[in-house]
Amino acid sequence: MVFDEPRAYPGSIRTLAIAIAWLIPGAGHLVLGKRGRALLFFVTIVGAFALGLALNGHLYWPTVADPASSYFHYDLITVLWFFAQIGAGLCYVGSLVLGLGTSPIAQAAAAPTFEYGNTFMFLAGLLNYLVIHDAFDIAVGRKR
Amino acid sequence: MHVLMMSMYAAMAAVVLSAVDPKSETTRQRVIHGLKIFGSFLGIGLVLSWVLFPIPW
Repeated sequence: MVFDEPRAYPGSIRTLAIAIAWLIPGAGHLVLGKRGRALLFFVTIVGAFALGLALNGHLYWPTVADPASSYFHYDLITVLWFFAQIGAGLCYVGSLVLGLGTSPIAQAAAAPTFEYGNTFMFLAGLLNYLVIHDAFDIAVGRKR
Repeated sequence: MHVLMMSMYAAMAAVVLSAVDPKSETTRQRVIHGLKIFGSFLGIGLVLSWVLFPIPW
């Protein structure tokens, strides 16, 4: 059926969808008219991030490594963790602004659920990268 | 606690991975694909924990 075929969206909508897909999980699909998937992604990803915060997860930021023990300027693991978490867009930025998950690492790590919390926050960000990619595929007409 | 967290992790990952799967055309196919992912996460997790349990390091 012709109306059921994937179609490419105009460039402005495409750009908007990708940008907003990063900021608000699922919003890119909403812009592209995929309301069901948008709601599913929003609930799942924001839920995963919120659960991570509730389980005493920590917001990571690239920290400068000890020059005596590292070849890199930054501590590589904190760069990777930051990359994973920043994928959740406004969830990360909003939490940072509100001061959630920003307690000193030694204090946060004392909580027994600290690692669980971090894992859910990494999951949220990494899944949102997939969702952004999916929104891009829909926007350029590669899939419905 | 750990199994509960693992199940929630598997469920969230399965929901998103099945929804973005380009090969699934219908909702039914997506649900089946999601259940397979969920089961794989749990199954592989349990097998790995069983295999790794006796290893002392």
